[in-house]
Amino acid sequence: MPLQTPFHPRTSELCTSLLWKEWAGYHAVCSYDTVNDREYIAFRHAAGLIDVTPLMKYEVTGKDAPSFLARVMVRNIEKLRVGRVTYCCWCDDRGKVLDDGTITRWSEEHFRVTSNSPALQWLQRCARGFEVAIHESTDRIGVLALQGPASRTILAAAAEAEIEGLRFFRATTGMVAGKPVEITRTGYTGDLGFEVWTANENALPVYDAIMKAGKIHGIEPCGLDAMDVTRIEAGFVLHGVDYFSARTCMIESQKSTPFEIGLDWAVQLKRESFVGQAAILAEQDRGVARRLVGLELDWDDLERVFEESGLPPEVPRHAWRDPLPVYRDGRQVGQATSGAWSSILKKNLALATVNKGWSEKGTELMIETTVDFERKKMKAVVVPKPFFDPERKRT
Amino acid sequence: MSYDTIVIGAGHNGLTAAGLLARGGRRVLVVERRGEVGGLASSTEFNPGYRTAGILHDTTGVRASVIKDLDLEKHGLRRRSEPVPVFLPERKGTGLLLHRDPSKAAPEINSFSARDADRYAKYQAFHSRLGRFLLPLLNGPSPPVAGNDRSDFWGMIKAGMNMRRLGRKEMIEFLRLAPMPLRDWMEESFETPLLQSALAAPGLSASLLGPWSPGTATGLMMYEAVRGAGIQGGAPALVRALLAACESRGVEVRLNESVSRIRLRAGVVVGVTLAGGEELDGSMVASSCDPRTTFLDLMTPRDLPLDLERGMQNFKARGNVAKVHLALTGPLAFACRPDLEPENIRIGESLVSLEKAFDCVKYGEMPVEPCLDVAVPSLSDPSLAPDGGHVVSILVYAVPPTGTLEWTDARREELGDLVVSRLASYAPELRDRIVGREVLTPLDLEREYGLNGGHLYHGEQGLDQVLFMRPVPTCAQYSTPLEGLWLCGSGSHPGGGITCGPGMIAAAAILNS
Repeated sequence: MPLQTPFHPRTSELCTSLLWKEWAGYHAVCSYDTVNDREYIAFRHAAGLIDVTPLMKYEVTGKDAPSFLARVMVRNIEKLRVGRVTYCCWCDDRGKVLDDGTITRWSEEHFRVTSNSPALQWLQRCARGFEVAIHESTDRIGVLALQGPASRTILAAAAEAEIEGLRFFRATTGMVAGKPVEITRTGYTGDLGFEVWTANENALPVYDAIMKAGKIHGIEPCGLDAMDVTRIEAGFVLHGVDYFSARTCMIESQKSTPFEIGLDWAVQLKRESFVGQAAILAEQDRGVARRLVGLELDWDDLERVFEESGLPPEVPRHAWRDPLPVYRDGRQVGQATSGAWSSILKKNLALATVNKGWSEKGTELMIETTVDFERKKMKAVVVPKPFFDPERKRT
Repeated sequence: MSYDTIVIGAGHNGLTAAGLLARGGRRVLVVERRGEVGGLASSTEFNPGYRTAGILHDTTGVRASVIKDLDLEKHGLRRRSEPVPVFLPERKGTGLLLHRDPSKAAPEINSFSARDADRYAKYQAFHSRLGRFLLPLLNGPSPPVAGNDRSDFWGMIKAGMNMRRLGRKEMIEFLRLAPMPLRDWMEESFETPLLQSALAAPGLSASLLGPWSPGTATGLMMYEAVRGAGIQGGAPALVRALLAACESRGVEVRLNESVSRIRLRAGVVVGVTLAGGEELDGSMVASSCDPRTTFLDLMTPRDLPLDLERGMQNFKARGNVAKVHLALTGPLAFACRPDLEPENIRIGESLVSLEKAFDCVKYGEMPVEPCLDVAVPSLSDPSLAPDGGHVVSILVYAVPPTGTLEWTDARREELGDLVVSRLASYAPELRDRIVGREVLTPLDLEREYGLNGGHLYHGEQGLDQVLFMRPVPTCAQYSTPLEGLWLCGSGSHPGGGITCGPGMIAAAAILNS
């Protein structure tokens, strides 16, 4: 049976919809209401508080921790300064992505790595010859993500910590409700936001203090469904949906490289050896075979396909993740792996992986859709990611 | 200082590779950790006035093409005109002096079994016919089963055709024998236990297996396929000629310098760092060290691809052979035939005794009656010992590897005593003639010669670690997943022993790249 996070006493009381799912072995709320609109609007207009404890966490410590992580990650972690966070992925020897996550440098010799899937074995396998200790802390640390335009004001009120001055992808420590917490300015919504990390035993007082401070700012407890819409708007790829870990793939074509999933910017190639370096260098020379792009589905064409069946146009009520083929000139050139209707942008969005040649901005493609049990194709255009990128995220 | 190729290790394979690369126009440096060249083939003084003829004393596998390509005869190398017979002593009886030539062997074998004398001729004929298929396989790169381009495909077709050319009957016989235990093959071939064990023994030296273990027949077929008559003066004479050939072609050799790291820049080999900190630049590095040392010790862990790291951790190199050198004041004489002064002797009474010796190894115990592969190199090179004196060189097959038994000083002496008393049970005057002895356990061999696991062949040669799987499929064509790093030692195809084979084929691969 899935486990309960340390916030479960609160989330289970609030989740009157009983809409739960299993996330990495934990019970996780999909949405507190029967629909997720209230939560989505909280994320974008006030603040949403979501329990992200199931995210896997590893404490990497020791003299060689920086060089060890620089070996594992596609990014040069040796250059990451204390008090900073970075995001990247890691690969196998063949340059195929295993997982992605954040790395926070808490001190010279202490880093925290987060991942979507269990990574302990992999990290340990890479550690021969390095003076490091790797411990999993997933079940010892509760994590809350406070995301949205009001998040800074709320956290500043709830926490004794330097919140106003905490810049994007920086980390600090402080107290909430008299309990020690770690705070990072990170999140998965592409908005202004923070993540608050605390020992299990302090979880409930921290949760209560944030909710209390947020009350007058319209804070809402939020579930995964609303976050899924926001992460699509932000153009963030999701492990297990938009790409698959090379570890679990049955065939080569299911695996992805960092370039293919749009993490070019996170790859630092010209440095000391890291896992997958040779393969990624070779891929760079050879050219990237496919790309993950943003798609905007054409509204007029959407109206057309519905009208053909005598129906009014309809947009997806939830973020979707059942893959759909993408065509060009009648031939399949890729697949859309997730998508959502963005009520803030009033756009029908999708993330898709398309073959070389069809990833340029403005490329017109056709995406499959089903209307009244009938398969149809409608127009979609390649657009830059992120779809939604508010100024406040960084400032 | 910058070189085209830096060869790590001046063993006979390192020197072979260096000489052939220099012959191909490359500027070559050889870096050797010890104070002399030759590695396991080098002669060392183990007792005042007494020198060894190398750790490995069998030179019958040395490749003729290396002798020719490096003009080794011009540099003083002499081949023996005919193979040295092996004496198989008995405690009761006359023993058996086994010639390779069946007509010479017949009278000796006849006194044990007329049927075996006839079978021996057929057995040797089978090996020489099999050589037509095996020799090309063992004198060139292994069929690139793991490769994926067109030339790889033709390489496989060619090897397949060579096997088919053996003829239907012979091919089927080869395929039937290859996975078999040596005991089954020997028992269906011969009825004389002494002959069975003496012929089987060389097939067992390279892996942690006994004669009842499946697949051991292949080891013997590969050993027999490449046998020539050997080198006069043994392994040290080969090393002297190789060194002279290397020097004449401008190869630079630096002794007493150990490589601490193979240096990489952005995944490409750029040279080596010496223990003293000096950095040498080379666009290629060819390591004749064993593969585990090369990858696990000489590479910065960060530079080593994980698949290769795992491959090396799983690579088996459990040294199960010890070495004993005896300094004698007189000849090694056997009670069963006092007038004979044999140069090669093999002691292993039967296949059962070989298997029982292996049982001890399996369970980490001291062997009771280990098989001894004995040579008296001072017979062909009297300079190894003072006047009238002799050097006895004993490879002790089937001793426990370092991981299964802790080799203490006491155990080393215990092993020495065991070997002496075993040999003395056939040669009673031995004890009185011993003036000095040296015992090298697998642990000593590991330390002195830098052999990971103390394995004299740089890695076991079971069916899973030969041909395109030696040492691992991604390194089986001498190149490695690290651009610019090559292997040229016994850990590569065609394997260990004093053969020059790996060095020769690796050099060709490097020059072709």
